[in-house]
Amino acid sequence: MKLARYELTLQPRAAPGPMYAVLTAVVAIVLALALSSFLFRSAEDGLFSAYRAVFSYAFFTPRGIVATIQRSIYLLLCTYAFLVPLRAGLWNIGLPGQVFAGALAAFTVPFVTEALPPGILIVLMVAAAAVGGAVVGGFAGFLRARFQVNEILVTMMLNSIFFWAVAYMIKEGGPFMGATAEGEGFSLPPSLQAPMLLGVPFTAALALAAAVLLDLLFTKTALGYRIRAFGESPPAARYGGIVPLNVSLVVFLLGGAFAGLAAYHNFAAIPGVYKIPGNYGFYGDLAFYGIITALIARGSAVGAVPIAILFAGLSLGARFAQGLLRLTFGVDYALLGLLMMTFVASHILYQFRIVWRRVPAAVVQPVPTGLPGG
Amino acid sequence: MSSEPRGSSAYRTEAGGGAFFTPILSARGVTKRFPDVLALDQVNLDVEPGEIHAVLGQNGAGKTTLMNILFGLVEPDEGVLFLNGEHVRFRSPHDALALGIGMVHQTRRLVSAHTVLENIVLGHPTASGLLHLGSARRDVASLCTRYGISINLGARVWQLSEGERQWVEIIKALYRGARILILDEPTSALTPPEVKTLLAGLQAMVADQGVTVLLVTHKLPIVMAVSHRVTVLRSGRVVAKLRTADATEEILVQHMVGREVTFRTTNHAAPAGRPLLQVEDLSAYNDKGLLALWGISVALREGEILGVAGVTGNGQEELAQVLAGLRPAASGMVRFDGRDVTHLSPLDRWRMGVGYVPAERTEVGSIAMFSLVENMALNYHFDPAFIRRGFLDTEGLDQLTQRILSTYSVKAPNQQVRAQHLSGGNLQKLILGRVLSRRPRLLIAHLPTQGLDVEATAFVRATLLEAREGGAAVVLISEDLDEILTLSDWVAPIYEGRFPAVLPQSEADAETVGAMMAGHFA
Repeated sequence: MKLARYELTLQPRAAPGPMYAVLTAVVAIVLALALSSFLFRSAEDGLFSAYRAVFSYAFFTPRGIVATIQRSIYLLLCTYAFLVPLRAGLWNIGLPGQVFAGALAAFTVPFVTEALPPGILIVLMVAAAAVGGAVVGGFAGFLRARFQVNEILVTMMLNSIFFWAVAYMIKEGGPFMGATAEGEGFSLPPSLQAPMLLGVPFTAALALAAAVLLDLLFTKTALGYRIRAFGESPPAARYGGIVPLNVSLVVFLLGGAFAGLAAYHNFAAIPGVYKIPGNYGFYGDLAFYGIITALIARGSAVGAVPIAILFAGLSLGARFAQGLLRLTFGVDYALLGLLMMTFVASHILYQFRIVWRRVPAAVVQPVPTGLPGG
Repeated sequence: MSSEPRGSSAYRTEAGGGAFFTPILSARGVTKRFPDVLALDQVNLDVEPGEIHAVLGQNGAGKTTLMNILFGLVEPDEGVLFLNGEHVRFRSPHDALALGIGMVHQTRRLVSAHTVLENIVLGHPTASGLLHLGSARRDVASLCTRYGISINLGARVWQLSEGERQWVEIIKALYRGARILILDEPTSALTPPEVKTLLAGLQAMVADQGVTVLLVTHKLPIVMAVSHRVTVLRSGRVVAKLRTADATEEILVQHMVGREVTFRTTNHAAPAGRPLLQVEDLSAYNDKGLLALWGISVALREGEILGVAGVTGNGQEELAQVLAGLRPAASGMVRFDGRDVTHLSPLDRWRMGVGYVPAERTEVGSIAMFSLVENMALNYHFDPAFIRRGFLDTEGLDQLTQRILSTYSVKAPNQQVRAQHLSGGNLQKLILGRVLSRRPRLLIAHLPTQGLDVEATAFVRATLLEAREGGAAVVLISEDLDEILTLSDWVAPIYEGRFPAVLPQSEADAETVGAMMAGHFA
């Protein structure tokens, strides 16, 4: 962009530090909240009461905090499902499909047998959920690595397939149909409901431990190195003896497994649910917020924890405020959507420095660039 | 060097037989300096109307720079251009195009999702604003008929073969009114039948329509087949101007390569070691699915350097990749230490002691966003000595990096800096040091000194010789004939995917090898 004698240019930053990543994330969030003020303009008690309603419900009421924690675990596990393939430069857009597959796999365990001790059944359910998600994810990874089929297309199509697979299983006449036949899956018996730790499902510990382990994996281990190297430069990775097939498969298996665990958490571990609900599609959509969370956290699993909590709180609080203040429908999604956009914009700030440069007066014509070598 | 008068606005040149003509395009005393390089030194060039004029030279001789000057892409530091005897100055390709000079670049510059017609019309002076594709189609179609070119104007460019794309570029230039066509290495990406079609088409255009063609190439058979006259460049100077009818491939080779006596540094008769590498009848496809290696055979012992000499694009990249396991062999066999390794993965070969220094330093040999230590791990992430229970031994890698930085005098602030901040020479020394630190038994070094300054080049060459002294076998792939002749025990010229011969050092001289590199061999 040019303004009189001055020119606005973007100069790449040499090596932005971690502080800068935090700063740009904060800028993005503040900007999104500011922009979202127009969503709240119909609030009768003014703008700030709307913001207060959002935050106070999500973070300062006992019920709200519990709901925020439960949802943030779900978002966090979905974040890992996207983050692991992302480190290998691959885009796992198949979070909903993998979540649905994980849910079906988890509920298959009590459907088949309830004869085993509940402890073993719960472990089996967790394992089945992870395997279910991993198989669906791994399928996309395999196609990508073996036949260069675009992973984004494959995972998107799998989303649709498993959306309808769940519908087939739980709606009227489906094998997983609940006793009341209201378009939901059967409920878990109390003995198979996930145990609680300090008032939250044990999956919280799982999610937090995974954050630490994932960051260790990427920074310290040989496997993590191979994944990152492949993500940064596939030709260099191949040159170094890294096998693309293995990397694609590993990251999609691992990513899918996390999506499966997210399904286990959401449908088998949150008090009051314990079944595949009729609105399971909503949770499929919610899984996509794992993508934004992973992108804002710039691939750090530990860094994703506060962001997932914030997103969980904002989505719940905005839904609550919507009801309380008679706001228009869809405020929660609009808020998250704004966040996504401001994040993308802040990405430029992260990578580039905006500089006003004085154009030398003597410049006649720009020299043509891109000459072929002689 | 010629001694024509300079400075007059119109002049005449004596052609053979005493007839006089005005050159349609000429350059007088053109000099161009790039940082550290004198690309063109007082170059004179005269092109007669209605001829195919070949500009011949090895890589780096200055051919492309000269053509870019004639097309207005580059302004010369000194010297002047004349068109039909009139002094002209091109500030941009627009000026050249307006005066009827068109250029077809070595790399295609087409929009592959658009149709042929859209590509031809794109950027045409009358095409700004609204497109009148209907009338444009008629004009282009009649132009094609006139020049005897048959091409489907409605086809999308991505559907076309490389040869057809070349024709689209040519039509595009003609449609803009070009009467002088500059073709930069037009045959480099074409299959032999496509080359035939192209050359026949060019000859017809010149003979029937009076178009003038400037053909830039390093391939002798093509020069001999179609050109009327040849100007030979070497190291930025014109060393010969001849009629093709008076020239032979031998004469042209002598001019291209020069007759300098090469000084050799490897004459310390190393005792030949055990046989290490046998390549038997090896063929491979390139990325386009065309055969790029045709039945290559060669054997190498420990402590020997095989120099593969050729102009880039003759199968060197494919050869290096097949040897490193990065590209499958179409047929034939690679034996390493008596074992058939043809189908082994790159990782298996690293483990067996095959080291590869790729030509692409920034894309393949290193990862720009990784620190130097992380880059070191590229060749060590599988090494049990640097892995403890799945964890990389960062400390060990750190020490290794430090050692390589000091041994190979790599200039870097510290080993945590990203590889993208290293200069080409320093990056190359780092990669070479990394690969050699694995003590490979076979080293494949592709263009190891390309783009390096004198000091770094000398260092890299000395390092290769040191590796050879240490008993490693080295496959050195280079465009630099002097480098090959100085370092190699065996010299294999490569031309269009074949080794015309594998010569012992004693029989490899610049002339023989240079001729074979340019496609002149029995």
